[in-house]
Formats: sequence, structure tokens, C-alpha cells
Amino acid sequence: MGGGILSGLPYTWEEGLVILGLTLVLFVLAIAVSIFKRIGIAKEYTIALIRGSVQLFFTAGILYLLFEFEWWYYPIWLMLIAMILMGGYTSAKRASKMPGAYKVTTPSILIGGTIVLLILWITGAMPSEPQFIIPLSGMVFGNSMTICSLALNRLIREFETNRPSLETMLSLGATPKEAMEEFARMSVKAALIPNIDSLKTLGIIFIPGAMAGLLIAGTNPILAAEYQIIVFLMILCGGLITSLIAVYLARGMLFTKAYQIAEWI
Amino acid sequence: MNVFRVSGAKKRLGENRVLRGIDLDVRKGEVLSLVGPSGSGKSTFLRTLNRLIELDSGSILFKGASIIDMDPVGLRRNVVLVTQEAVMLPGTVKENILYGPELAGMKDGCDAGKCLIEAGLSADFSAKDASKLSGGEKKRVSLARALALRPEVLLLDEPTVGVDPKRVKRMERTILKAARSRGLTVVWVTHDIPQAMRVSDRIANLKKGKVVEVKNAGEFEWEGAY
Repeated sequence: MGGGILSGLPYTWEEGLVILGLTLVLFVLAIAVSIFKRIGIAKEYTIALIRGSVQLFFTAGILYLLFEFEWWYYPIWLMLIAMILMGGYTSAKRASKMPGAYKVTTPSILIGGTIVLLILWITGAMPSEPQFIIPLSGMVFGNSMTICSLALNRLIREFETNRPSLETMLSLGATPKEAMEEFARMSVKAALIPNIDSLKTLGIIFIPGAMAGLLIAGTNPILAAEYQIIVFLMILCGGLITSLIAVYLARGMLFTKAYQIAEWI
Repeated sequence: MNVFRVSGAKKRLGENRVLRGIDLDVRKGEVLSLVGPSGSGKSTFLRTLNRLIELDSGSILFKGASIIDMDPVGLRRNVVLVTQEAVMLPGTVKENILYGPELAGMKDGCDAGKCLIEAGLSADFSAKDASKLSGGEKKRVSLARALALRPEVLLLDEPTVGVDPKRVKRMERTILKAARSRGLTVVWVTHDIPQAMRVSDRIANLKKGKVVEVKNAGEFEWEGAY
């Protein structure tokens, strides 16, 4: 297993392990400083690093096998389903106050992400090859998950702080849709702000994942930038669709069938 | 004739048994006050009448029909709650007053100025930013906003709390005048027993989620009521 075409990096994976070890020294130093300064993040940081690394190597192993596997399109479906279910579960945990939140998050991420991936596939931006499908799906579903969590969290907070307003509107004969309209709009907008800020600073403060990967793999920078913009546009659309579906589905959880504010709020 | 007939109304909120079996009739055109100490279930009970809160058990009949079988939006337009907080919606006073009628698609429209005058404010208030009003003014706009829906029943939750003490009686007279001239039935929650005796035809005394007595206002003895 060497470097070259697959990694685009000028060293073998064994050499890479040595480099990884060296960077870990810096990490250990940073942790030592945090313990000395009593910042209180050493344990969480270390666990997160170990967990993240194990997950990443596990995924890398699967991807390596997948890229070599002739019938890759069978297991890829399983991976996509796993991404959606995991995204729905993680996002639902963020909105844990809402009973059955996964019934909101999972379909939102599924629909928002799938629409975007279909467009990428139809337009040819995502060729039917695992090297494209898996990372792009990861980006799209991952972003949809984050936006879904942000939108739901904000919406629940709006309901908690504006309960008297909502009650007033319902008392004046508003339906749940009418009563929550403004709060839903604010939640969608707030959830999209990080994406919009990223778009504004694209290429100045940071070079995003897809472009960085392409550059490392030796792609022409102009082509890499063009591809990144396509990906970013799709991610933004996916996020917007996901958040709109999430606030729409959340209505059924925030209100009862008799148009009352749900008791869990 | 009874506008409301409540039987065995029970409601639990979390671990707290707020309503423990309320039986009460509300007669057409009367002003019925609900009095009782804090936590006796007055405000919760008021919200069950327009189905903002659902009963766990028991029944509420509105003009002979169970409210469970009614469209909640239609019920709330007819049985309007004026909340204690007098929450103003974003926008002008006029927009606040027309919020309900516009949602209801009341084609003949509603004269916001007229409703304001009925609620004891000048029609000039229409253009003001609702969020910048004083507490007392907000209470009056809340009343005007409720009247604009032309309801049959007004549910008032402590409508004079937060009003300048010198103006409480004036506010009471305004409410009663509007209610009498429109032939409204009023259910008025208050912790102030002298006020209940001034404004009501009948007074229902709630304790620990139950109605312990219902008397004509003139016969109500407020010593030992709490």
C-alpha cells in the first residue's frame, strides 16, 4: 500500500505513520499545557481524538476495500443508509427535549441530502464511482445534519421563550402554521448563517475540504475551485431544503392535533 | 341558558394535579369571576374553556356541544382569551387589533378605532408601535384585540394586574360596558376578591383544583374565602 495516485501525497503510508506520531507530540504538549492551565478539556479532547481516529481508520479501511471491490454499488447503498440514520440520530440527540425528534431529523436529512445528490449525479458533477459518491455524500449529509440540529434547536428555544406570544396568537384563532411562521423563518435563517459565512470567506480564510483534496491530488486549481463552488452550492441547497423540511415536520411535534402547544415545551 | 357546562374536569401538569374534578356552569350573558389562591387552578381552568389546554378527563360543553368535537380555531374565535401578560405582536396597534379578524377572513372588516374606543383608548392609538405602549395601554389593546373578533365569550385572566391602581376601577368599568353592550358572557379570573364582588354576577371559589362554592356576588362572603 503505497502513496502515489491514491493519496496524492509524496510519502508512503508507513512514512505517514511516523509523521502522525510526530504531530501527536505537539498534541501531547498542548494537552499538557491545558492540564497545567486547568482548562478542563484534556480528557474530552483526548477521547475525541482517539474516537475520531478510530472511526476515520475504520472508514478508510472500508473505503479501501470498496474502491477495489467489483460490486461496490451494493455496499455503497448500505453506507448511504447508515449515513442518513446516523445523521438523523445525532441530530435528534441535539434536540433531545423533543420526544421522537428522529422522526423529524431523519426524513429531513434524507430528503434534503438526496435531492442534492441526485442533482449532482444527473448533472455529472458526481460520477457513478465510489471515490466521488462517498465523500460527496458525507459532505452533503453531514452538512444537512448540522443545519437540521441548528434549526431545530433554535426553533425549540424560540418556543420556550415566546410561549406567551404563541398562546396569544392561538387564542386569536391562529393555526399552528400561522402562529409559528415567524419563528420558523428565524430558525431556518439562523441555521444557515454558518454556511453563508463560510461561503463569504471561501478561499480567503480557509480552503474547503473538496478543493483542498483536489489540490493535494494535483488537480488544476481553477478546476478545483470550480468544483468546490458546485459542491458548496449543492451543500447550501441541501441545508436549506433540510431546514425547511425540519421546521415543517417539527410543527407536528410542537403542537397537538387540537392546536395546543405541546406539553413537553 | 348555559353557555358552558363543565363536568368532572381534571388536568395534571407534570406531577401536579392542577384540576381535580371541576363542575361548573357558566350562564349566558353573565360575568362569572373565578377566585382562589395562587396555584388553585384558575388560569389553567380558563385555558381549558377555549381548548388551549386539553382536559385529561371530564367534559366541557359549549352551547350544548362538546368542545372536543369542535374546530379549535372556530372555538377560539368565539371564546377569546385575554392573557395576563398582554403580549403585543410585532407591528402597530392597528395590526394587532386586526390580526384575528384578518386570519378569520372577516370580509366586512373591523374598525380598529371603534374597538380601541370601546377598550377605553383613543382611536389615535392605531398607528402607534404596540411594543412601546405602557402596561395599562397594552392591557386595553389586548381587550380591543379580543373584541375585534366579535366573540360570544371573553375569558379574562387577571385583566387589571399591572394597571395603575388609580385606574383599575376605570378599566373594570370599560370591560363591563363593552361586555354589557355586546351581550357578552365573561369569565374573569382574579385573585382580588373585592374586585370580583364589584364586577361579577356570580363568583366561583376554587381551592386545590376544585370549585368549593359558587354564589351570587352579593351573597359571597370574602372573609375566609382563601
